[in-house]
Amino acid sequence: MTTPTARLQPRAMRFLRRRTRVVLLLAGWSLLESAHTFLSGYGVAKALDQGFLTGDTGVGLAWLAVSALAVVAGGLAGRGVFRGLADLVEPLRDSLIRQVVSRSLTQAVAHPARAADSAVVSRLTNQTEIARDSFAGLVLVARSFVFTAVGAVLGLLSLAPLLLLIVMPPLAAGLLLFLATLRPMAARQRAFLQADEDLSTQFGTVAEGLRDVVACGAQQPTAERAHGLIEDEARAARQLAGWAAVRCLALGLAGQLPILLLLVTAPWLLRQGLTAGVVLGALTYLTQSLLPALHTLMNALGSAGTRLLVVLARLTTGPAQDPEATATAEPTPTAPDTAPLVAATSLAPVSPLVPAAPVGPRVELRAVTFAYGPAAQPVLHDLDLTVEPGEHLVVVGPSGIGKSTLTALVAGLLEPAHGEIRVAGRPVRAGSGPSLPRILIPQQAYVFSGTLRENLSYLCPDGAPTSALQTSSDAVGLGQLVCRLGGLDAQLDPITLSQGERQLIALARAHLSPASLVLLDEATCHLDPAAEMRAERAFAERPGTLIVVAHRITSARRADRILVLDGARATCGTHDELLGRSALYRDLAGSWQPGTLERGAGLSAKSHPRGG
Amino acid sequence: MPRTPGPPSAARRRPDAGVRSVLTGAFRHSPARATAACLFSVLSAASAVALPAVLGHTLDLVLGVRPGLHGALALCAALLVAEVFLDALVALTGGVTTARSTAWLRRRGINHLMSLAPHRVVDRFTPGDLVTRLTGNAADAGTAPTTAATGLAALVTPVGSLIALALTDIWLAAVFLAGLPLLTRLLRVFARGSSDSVRRYQHAQADIATRLVEALGGARTIAAAGTAERERARVLAPLPELGAQGRQMWQVYGRAVVGSSILVPLLTTSVLAVGGLRLAYGGLSVGELLAASRYAALTAGLGGVMGQLNTLVRSRAAAHRIGELLALPAAAHGSRPLPADGCGRLELQGVTVVRGGAPALRGIDLVVPGGTIMAVVGHSGSGKSLLAAVAGRLTEPDSGQVLLDGVPLGEADPSQLRREIGYAFERPALFGATVGAAIGFGPYEPPAHAIEAAARAAGADSFVRLLPDGYRTPLAGSPLSGGEVQRLGLARAFAHAGRLLILDDATSSLDSVTELHVSRALMHDVRTGSRLLIAHRVSSAARADLVAWMENGRLRAVAPHDRLWADADYRAVFAHTDGSDSRTAA
Repeated sequence: MTTPTARLQPRAMRFLRRRTRVVLLLAGWSLLESAHTFLSGYGVAKALDQGFLTGDTGVGLAWLAVSALAVVAGGLAGRGVFRGLADLVEPLRDSLIRQVVSRSLTQAVAHPARAADSAVVSRLTNQTEIARDSFAGLVLVARSFVFTAVGAVLGLLSLAPLLLLIVMPPLAAGLLLFLATLRPMAARQRAFLQADEDLSTQFGTVAEGLRDVVACGAQQPTAERAHGLIEDEARAARQLAGWAAVRCLALGLAGQLPILLLLVTAPWLLRQGLTAGVVLGALTYLTQSLLPALHTLMNALGSAGTRLLVVLARLTTGPAQDPEATATAEPTPTAPDTAPLVAATSLAPVSPLVPAAPVGPRVELRAVTFAYGPAAQPVLHDLDLTVEPGEHLVVVGPSGIGKSTLTALVAGLLEPAHGEIRVAGRPVRAGSGPSLPRILIPQQAYVFSGTLRENLSYLCPDGAPTSALQTSSDAVGLGQLVCRLGGLDAQLDPITLSQGERQLIALARAHLSPASLVLLDEATCHLDPAAEMRAERAFAERPGTLIVVAHRITSARRADRILVLDGARATCGTHDELLGRSALYRDLAGSWQPGTLERGAGLSAKSHPRGG
Repeated sequence: MPRTPGPPSAARRRPDAGVRSVLTGAFRHSPARATAACLFSVLSAASAVALPAVLGHTLDLVLGVRPGLHGALALCAALLVAEVFLDALVALTGGVTTARSTAWLRRRGINHLMSLAPHRVVDRFTPGDLVTRLTGNAADAGTAPTTAATGLAALVTPVGSLIALALTDIWLAAVFLAGLPLLTRLLRVFARGSSDSVRRYQHAQADIATRLVEALGGARTIAAAGTAERERARVLAPLPELGAQGRQMWQVYGRAVVGSSILVPLLTTSVLAVGGLRLAYGGLSVGELLAASRYAALTAGLGGVMGQLNTLVRSRAAAHRIGELLALPAAAHGSRPLPADGCGRLELQGVTVVRGGAPALRGIDLVVPGGTIMAVVGHSGSGKSLLAAVAGRLTEPDSGQVLLDGVPLGEADPSQLRREIGYAFERPALFGATVGAAIGFGPYEPPAHAIEAAARAAGADSFVRLLPDGYRTPLAGSPLSGGEVQRLGLARAFAHAGRLLILDDATSSLDSVTELHVSRALMHDVRTGSRLLIAHRVSSAARADLVAWMENGRLRAVAPHDRLWADADYRAVFAHTDGSDSRTAA
């Protein structure tokens, strides 16, 4: 009701304004409900005054028959109401799902390392469903209350305008009290939902890591932390119960007090010329129509309304918006697949560069520094590197030393804090859009539900002939799997594939693509050494520039040159050069070669200063 | 072997015993509140039943201008106000009782969970299932005391109203009772029609979720290829189908709702019609007609009792699911202290562990002399991880016993045991708000310098310093690789190192250099004691003092690596293990 509501309000108005026709249709059908309410009291009054009380029972029964018909007609109108409801609710759900998908994809693409977030499934299924159900409930209840109230007020007005004078003040006062409780109740409800979510998250981590909790002997602190969260939720629930009690009072004020007032003033009303039938009709409106409608309204607005607000706020607010919206806001990226351009501000020699393929582009890094946060130490510091066109470079070094960061920088996924990166003479910028001449195959191979053909030609914008698909499959060693899966047009179920099989598919995809610069970031780590050798050989024979981040040190032997990253320093050279120049490389190569293992002693990884 | 109450006997005794103890326990936790809720709700129902008759009587007095009007009006006012305030009290006490019961059930659940041997839980429940039991099921079961307490009132209103209707006019009660089944059947015909749109709807929804999860898993590929827009379209492809099935669902639901919404007004109208006829012939007053129509509506509220019963049935089922968790026997433990001067001598005597009906470890006799490093090697499925679990009492042996410095683990003081035995795993689960807290997680929080020293020893310090906020970086938002998580798990074990450290494949994702660095730190920088290393790499085995070679759940040999290396079978153990093979955890 505070900030989230304020933020949601304009969007909600836009949503409804775009659906004016549906809203009007819904209102039209609901008018039949008003007619039903109107006749429920009016019919009773007339049946009594003109029928049963005057002994003319036929007229009395006729009035009641009319009111029964109105009930059935109102019921039939329900079909139209639900059609209108679907036209309001389903678009809301569609738009929420679109936003969740767009936002999580945008975020994942911006921060690939954080992408594996299972909460997105809950947002996509549970939370959009909560929004759908709550919104539908609210529309139904609010609509029902409004049209019931309209029917009852019109009925009272046509029976005797004086009645409104008695009924309206307490009804309005009760509604105002109820509206006043909405804001604090919404706050408590939000606190409750938040506490519930925190508790689930905590239970989830404990359930996932039970072994670790016990092994760490941390049962006591873990239980205490859970007790704290349990108490938080219980406190929120107790406060909610208090507000529910206040809501009961509001209901009493709005629904019950008018009944009492009507009775108290009845002698006076009768003196003003009102009949017994009119008084009975008025009481019918109050007890049979308004009281139940108020009851449902107050229950639904209190809980479903808040739930909807909370879920909508969670689903629709976040850093990323629709990509359609942001794409136009960004400066237009330079067309990637035209002839290489030279940045206007660059002082680089303006030479007519050769088109990238088939030799492959030159990759140049000049004094590149990169850190993951302003307070973090740089992962790469003043790195200079040139990879010649068509060269095969292997990057080695301990885990976490910045190998993946290097490939991400060259691929344009990250932007260096200082320095410059050029591919084929063109500066690389983060978020510079799709860039077909270079592709990056990460450790986590991407395979999607679809045919094998779709998966393999994923990086070929113009598709690829079957013969090319087969050549690439055979080259990287995917041939056998293609047969096993039932050919190129077999449907893939990624869950049934092993990590190694996924990597083979990703490798064949890269091999098939027209890219002239291929970055393999531990893309073969789930293959056995023989399969890895075959795949790497296939890429070495493929024309173009190749940068491989090695998972196994054996990859280094297949390279033209090797880059050794060691935190503070980077050393580049051939295998033989590095054996002489880099102690770290000697260690790595040594631990790869069996026989040079010495128990505990002799190796000197520790002599290298690590990142300051 | 310590005696533990077996789960089968408890389960066989009485299947309902667990449910009953959960529900009565929840009730006993707040008896006064539950009783109050019961009392308030019955009083509120009584005034609700009395009100129409009093209203009708008052109306008759008004219309007839007869004496006694003031008294009747006062009674009306009293009943109306009482009903309103009693309802408010029911809402308050009922809500508070539910909150208390739910919290009590959850505390019991988590406390019991913390007393269990982890494998007993993992064997029975998936993590998601466990969370559901402790959150949703506990909330459902927690409503039981309130629902039961207010159940009587839910019955009082409709039954009392029916009796009151009969007392007002027996013919009207007859009309109501005859009309109810007739109309219900009629409306059921009207609402007929089912469809499998719910199933198709959920299918389309799951389809979108699957596509999205796939795409998120391939985020780096998508980012590098710039195909995010294409992915968006691919993920959203099933959306039109979802919308179509959703509309179908509303139609089906609408038909059902419309049917039930006209039942009560039609019944009331027929009661009014017959009542009007009785009125015309002098058998009924206007006030009685008002009371009768109100009683008809209140009696139709009998459906609410079904709702209440439904809630109780759900609570019962939920209580059953919590009872299943509470029925798991807690791990037995003793209180014997470990000798103060012990240096971590670990001894397994005839240890057998049965998994899935077959022995997974058979008669293991093994001694790790205090202060030495023992590597455990063997093919996948040979029982290495189970040996690691049983050595530190994450699992109890089915026969035989494990001793640490001469004290059987089952008799030792459990809190001391956990201080003295540390574990690091291949895939550790990390806890704590920040990266530093994740390392400090344990029976006690080590000082900051100890945490950093442990991180240095585990080769984690370098990458932690690269994180945006160093050790204070929130754990939740940190992009950590498998190898980094593994090193944080190692640091956690190092920070709390006692006399025995068990490393269950805890360096598998580390590159050769980091692993070497860690194993050297393990020898020099971490508190001395015995080490049990489950290893896949030949280098780890080579650096250990002794190697225990496992084969099919048995110990094949215990000897230094150099001596075993001569055996071709031994060398074959390392043939296919280059850090990334998949293993089945025992």
